[in-house]
Amino acid sequence: MKIFDPHVHMTSRTTDDYEAMAAAGIVAIVEPAFWLGQPRTTVGSFIDYFNSLVGWERFRASQFGIRHFCTMGLNPKESNNPKLADEVLQLLPRYLDKDGVVAVGEIGFDDQTDAELAAFTRQLELAREFDLPVLIHTPHRDKKRGTIRSIEAVRAAKFPEERVLIDHNNEETLPIVLESRCWAGHTIYPHTKMDERRMTVLVQKYGSDRIIINSAADWGISDPLKVPKTIDVMRAAGIADSIIQRIVWDNPVAFFAQSGKLDVADLDARPAIDRSQQFETNSVLRGERS
Amino acid sequence: MPASSLESALLGVVRARADSAAAWMAGVRPTDMDAFCGAYTAAARKAGRELLALTEAERIALGSSAPEARFDRWTVADAARAALLLRAADALDAADFQALAIGCFERGDAGEQASWMRAVALLPSPERFLPIVIDSCRTNVVPLFEAIACENPYPAKYFPERNFNQMVLKALFNSIAIRRIVGLAERMNPELARMASDYAAERRAAGRSVPPDIALAAPDEGRTEGAAR
Repeated sequence: MKIFDPHVHMTSRTTDDYEAMAAAGIVAIVEPAFWLGQPRTTVGSFIDYFNSLVGWERFRASQFGIRHFCTMGLNPKESNNPKLADEVLQLLPRYLDKDGVVAVGEIGFDDQTDAELAAFTRQLELAREFDLPVLIHTPHRDKKRGTIRSIEAVRAAKFPEERVLIDHNNEETLPIVLESRCWAGHTIYPHTKMDERRMTVLVQKYGSDRIIINSAADWGISDPLKVPKTIDVMRAAGIADSIIQRIVWDNPVAFFAQSGKLDVADLDARPAIDRSQQFETNSVLRGERS
Repeated sequence: MPASSLESALLGVVRARADSAAAWMAGVRPTDMDAFCGAYTAAARKAGRELLALTEAERIALGSSAPEARFDRWTVADAARAALLLRAADALDAADFQALAIGCFERGDAGEQASWMRAVALLPSPERFLPIVIDSCRTNVVPLFEAIACENPYPAKYFPERNFNQMVLKALFNSIAIRRIVGLAERMNPELARMASDYAAERRAAGRSVPPDIALAAPDEGRTEGAAR
């Protein structure tokens, strides 16, 4: 089965991960711009990070036969640094038009502060201006309230709900999201957020409409193979392949295709792997020659 | 609180454990930002990273100048760094001291920042550092978060309700015992009770355990069997 992991932070992962992901059937990924685990202190760090998302990392993925797309945005945590937030919001238009940028994100709430709401709302406007869908992160703390407030912010901005993917859902937030017209993402993590077995139960209860799963693998305890592992658990529970295929391919493809930057026919062909190619004179090869 | 008496009490504590470090500290000049921040870094190497394990007499001496502070998890380095900052506060005018203290924080590694957080409530006019302390609660470095949230009088005294509540939830989320949060009972509020009981419900819906001490933030949880799970 072809797999699309619509949320994975490959910048934090190794080439072993890329190889294992490709071997497990992952054909395409979306890497959302996010927090680096510790706060950035200057806008230049964002410039370099954004450049790597549309540059080096995309190239690195291609060397393992994986198509790499990304979302661009100011994450909720760093929205609380007023000087930096202004600078990054001014910087974003430079990136939103670039090839392979398939949404604005991750945006949303962390501590649910006024500053976070302001950056969230401003980025909904940017998404409208650049005709992009948005990827919304829901908070670890006070999650249900944060999810409700996120939907309220989307509605207050009159942003089209069908162009919104609300991520990191759980048993309590999924029904809230499904009542809206937004899409519902689920992050399958080893210890927190959601696991394979619980996800299977949710699919048995709610079906596959607008439902998406991802690994959100990053620098923390996480696993870039969680989407294929969840497929195994769903199959073992008797869920039909046609339903699973919708969740791990059709839905994420349909959602991000709304950017106009995801060529569905093109996705069917794996990128040809030519490891002698170089990116600004850097190859993923370390001295070896293929 | 008279900074100088606290400074001399802390210096006495450092001297009893690392005599040479106390002598070295006397030569650190607060007028030179680079040198001072360098000394703030070096204090761990000079004074050592062991827990203070205060004697009863020391506990009384520190308690008389800083009655709200909790020194149980302080290291000798924490005490040395706090004493350095307090001496700088005495020597400099308010604006220069503020710039110096912020410099020590911004240039610090996670250990230096944790020392800084343990001491911030003891500095003159601690409320001026509120934005830094609140922002640091966003850290993913758990020991740094604990330095703010646990055994520290600062949050209960200075945090607005929303930030205080977020901190308590983050402690629950990170499996940190919330009885370690100073002033939790005094700062309890209905919104925090709601957030904590929502968190307990979210954990149950996920088939996961509920933190055993959650009733400290969600009084209703103490009356349901869920709290025992």
